Amino acid sequence: MSAPIERRRRAARLRLVVRLLARDWRSGELTLLVIALLVAVGTVSAISLTTDRLGRALLSESSNLLAADRVITSGRDIPASFEDRARAFGLDTARTLTFASMVYVGDRNQLVSVKAVSDGYPLRGILRVADEPFGPDAPTKALPAAGEVWLDARVFPALGIAPGDPITVGEAELRVARVLAAEPDRGGSFFDFGPRLLMRLDDVPATGVVKPGSRLYHRLLLAGDEAALDNLAVELRDSLAPHYRWRSIREASPTVGDALGRAESFLLLGGLIAVLLAGAAVALGAHRYARRHYDHVAIFKTLGATPANVQYGYLTLLAGLGALAVPLGLLLGGAVHLAIVNSLATLMPVHLPAPGLKPLVVGAVTGFICLFAFAVPPVTALRGISPMRVIRRDLAHLGPSAGITYGSAAVGSLVLLIWYSGSVLLTLWTLLGVLGVSVVFGAIAFALLHGGRAIGMQAGSRWRLALAGLQRRRNENVAQVLIFGLAIMLLLILVLLRTELLEEWRAQLPPQAPNHFVMNVVSDELADVQQLLAAETTYSGVLYPMVRGRIVAVDGEAAAERRRRMTDEGDGPRLDSERNLSFVDALPTNNRIVAGQWWDGAGSFVSLEAEFARETGIGIGDVLEFDVAGARFEVTVTSLREVEWGSLEPNFFLLFAPGVLERYAATWMTSFYLPPERKRFLNELLGRFPTITVIEVDEVIAQVQRIVGRVTQAIELVLALVLGAGCLVLIASIQASRDERLKEHALLRALGGSKRLIQGALSAEFAVLGAFAGIVAAVGAELTTWILTTRVFELPGAAHPWLWALGPVLGVAIVATCGVLGTRSLVRSPPVMVLRELG
Amino acid sequence: MTTPILRARGITKVLPTTEGELAILTGVDLEINAGESVAVMGRSGSGKTTLLGILAGLDSPSAGTVVLDGEEITALDEERRAVVRGERVGFVFQSFQLLGSLTALENVMLPGELKGDADPRADALALLARVGLAERTTHYPRQLSGGEQQRVAIARAFASKPSILFADEPTGNLDTATGEHIIELIFELNREFETTLVLVTHDARLAVRCDRVIELEAGHIVAERMAVRQ
Repeated sequence: MSAPIERRRRAARLRLVVRLLARDWRSGELTLLVIALLVAVGTVSAISLTTDRLGRALLSESSNLLAADRVITSGRDIPASFEDRARAFGLDTARTLTFASMVYVGDRNQLVSVKAVSDGYPLRGILRVADEPFGPDAPTKALPAAGEVWLDARVFPALGIAPGDPITVGEAELRVARVLAAEPDRGGSFFDFGPRLLMRLDDVPATGVVKPGSRLYHRLLLAGDEAALDNLAVELRDSLAPHYRWRSIREASPTVGDALGRAESFLLLGGLIAVLLAGAAVALGAHRYARRHYDHVAIFKTLGATPANVQYGYLTLLAGLGALAVPLGLLLGGAVHLAIVNSLATLMPVHLPAPGLKPLVVGAVTGFICLFAFAVPPVTALRGISPMRVIRRDLAHLGPSAGITYGSAAVGSLVLLIWYSGSVLLTLWTLLGVLGVSVVFGAIAFALLHGGRAIGMQAGSRWRLALAGLQRRRNENVAQVLIFGLAIMLLLILVLLRTELLEEWRAQLPPQAPNHFVMNVVSDELADVQQLLAAETTYSGVLYPMVRGRIVAVDGEAAAERRRRMTDEGDGPRLDSERNLSFVDALPTNNRIVAGQWWDGAGSFVSLEAEFARETGIGIGDVLEFDVAGARFEVTVTSLREVEWGSLEPNFFLLFAPGVLERYAATWMTSFYLPPERKRFLNELLGRFPTITVIEVDEVIAQVQRIVGRVTQAIELVLALVLGAGCLVLIASIQASRDERLKEHALLRALGGSKRLIQGALSAEFAVLGAFAGIVAAVGAELTTWILTTRVFELPGAAHPWLWALGPVLGVAIVATCGVLGTRSLVRSPPVMVLRELG
Repeated sequence: MTTPILRARGITKVLPTTEGELAILTGVDLEINAGESVAVMGRSGSGKTTLLGILAGLDSPSAGTVVLDGEEITALDEERRAVVRGERVGFVFQSFQLLGSLTALENVMLPGELKGDADPRADALALLARVGLAERTTHYPRQLSGGEQQRVAIARAFASKPSILFADEPTGNLDTATGEHIIELIFELNREFETTLVLVTHDARLAVRCDRVIELEAGHIVAERMAVRQ
């Protein structure tokens, strides 16, 4: 064949494809498929865009808790080389130095926690200052000028000073310029106690308070591009241990870290489920489209179209559809995400960072993968349609083999899920849930339909008709119950997980959780302090004795020696550092024994925090020698504990059984809840007991609560989007089986069945399908949620009896509503029209 | 001397059923000459539609050969059979088989477009005018009567300038008067285009208009006679 003729043929065929695409579009044949694609691309890109931006906002909000994206911390000075490398990577840097010091004004003095900062601090978050103590505050980008300090409001009455007055810090006289109302990285550390004094790092040498042996806390703040931060972490990895620690928000604030981690998993899961649902909708849409084109293809073939022509034509059509639907889907996703962001704007005064390009790529690729994995098999199978169909319409077309269809869908889902989540574990559990449910509950659906038929024989005509219909198309209906069931199940899973995550967070941060800790209370004043706290605050009543001491030997080996030997074991707390020891009778509530046994009485026993034990290589049965105030004694390790560090309650690496530490001078620690408006009480407390130390964690708790609140919003939003995708699958599934059902009912109408009877029978049929699907969904959701909560989110699993009622009710409501709405117009049309339209 | 445009030898079609194999056609031999019109008659289930499908290359036999216009179509795969159909075969069906989403004109243009003809539109317009539907070119099938739809189908059948036309009960869905018109049209165009006509029907009045009548019964040719023109 000559080249020009072949070119002309190709052009003519392309024109034909375009014309058919346009016709199918106008006649509504492609509507379902296009909507499914739009929803797939739209949902995924909307979720990606929103979570991307919310995620960035959350991270930057969380970074405020560090005043940076990452920090390097140490008790030693941090080498300039670290800072140079960070700058070379294009990162912003700043330094802070925190230490406790006395400040003097005349004969008055006050212990403060000094934070000396370099230019650029804080890299994330903002400082807030006021012109007078307890006055209205405002954000500022400035820092104290040279020779000036900013002071916590409650130091002013304690020292009897006003802004502008001089104070003495060590050997230097500095001017108090402003009142420091808030700093982003305030608190959270029990090292960081006392009211704050903020000054310039350059002024520290003049004070002369930093001497060899001083307890100092150095931080190098880092902020900038995530990739650069990761690269720096890799480069510095070997230089950090054992003296320097690399910290991100996850390590710095375990509560926020946990919340973020779980929220990310949840959002991903939501996205995954949306992708699966949209994929299912695309598959259903494509099957219906293909089925409606059997006759067209047979005619084309009769007229000389070869199987290759047919395949070319329909693949071109699909590609055209993708090229059309994907950009539209992205626009839709963009619009939905903007609507969400705008609706959240009133709740979230935070400016959301601009989204990256990835969400759009995710949306577009999802669209094409959905199209090719879910829609191509049924559509390319059209090439196998026999042209004999033009004279023998009853000629069955078996469609693509089940292996190809399911295989392609499974591979497509797997690729999408792993690519989207980056988590093989989450993907496998989700797919396993879906697969397990499909197999087991396919059987249940089959049995339900069979049983339904037997019951239906005794029912009225409407129900008999409905159940007979269900039984007649049993295979299709089992599939449909499964699809409905899976869609409802996925939605229930999300609802359940959301509820569990939120409850878990709420339980972690109850509204009146202690937000202040009092330390250094000596035994003589303990009763008075407790009395005052009980009268003025929501007092917890929990008391912890604290004795300073250190480990000097482990099983006879000197601790310093052992530490040197084990230097490479980790970057945890040092074995021979002096630390707070405490003794208790009962295991604290947020501790869990992971090895050995808790004591039931007095004895020379000690319990170690599990991670500390691992890093120092200490195990059950080891004998530790302690030095407390010069006296030495030995105790045996009897248990290892896992500690909930995120609980914002006092936790100890080393807990003793009663009977060992009582003979040494102890100070006491206790906690209370103080609402923000009662903050002045701290001055009264500190005024009456000047030697005690108050640690304020209220700002940290408030910040964590804000973050959790935002995460919750993101989760609810994703849930809403997934609900939309789920409904689409239901509609697609109903649409896909609509023709077959309607043909039967049109025949019944032609034979004299009333519109009422047909509508009733259809409603009954959909209601039964919905109820069965609901039962399947409840069982599946319960199982999958249990697996996901315990394995992925690592929360305790629980049963949900209400689900068993909700599943079927939801199933009936959704399926019957969608079904009746989807078939209403055709039930109303004269039967002859229906029969003619459906051929 | 007349040459056979269609030659079938030992055509057998067996279908598997739950009760074993069912023979639809058994050893059918047949020759049809170029320009000839042949009616295939028989009762429902006699195998005439199956035979038409095999002769036209829509289906393959379980055994036997079909040579159409010099090409042994039973030796071809579906890809090449489709090309043969597109170039040499035209079809008219009982149920018209128009594409509902295309207009009358677009339906008639289809074969030309699939073949890559230079100007399928002009040919299609001329054919539609020839079948008396010049005014209905932009109408969709659902906007046309049964007779009009069949006329569009006839125009489409001749659009590829086939050497042989297969018609399967072309009047089966039409009333008597309309059926008459349609038959008239098919025979007229058949003469004009010098096409060979193979007509499957159980309408004796239609069959007698053909040069030859072949009678099928239970998958066998039981009678073959030259038609007696009235």
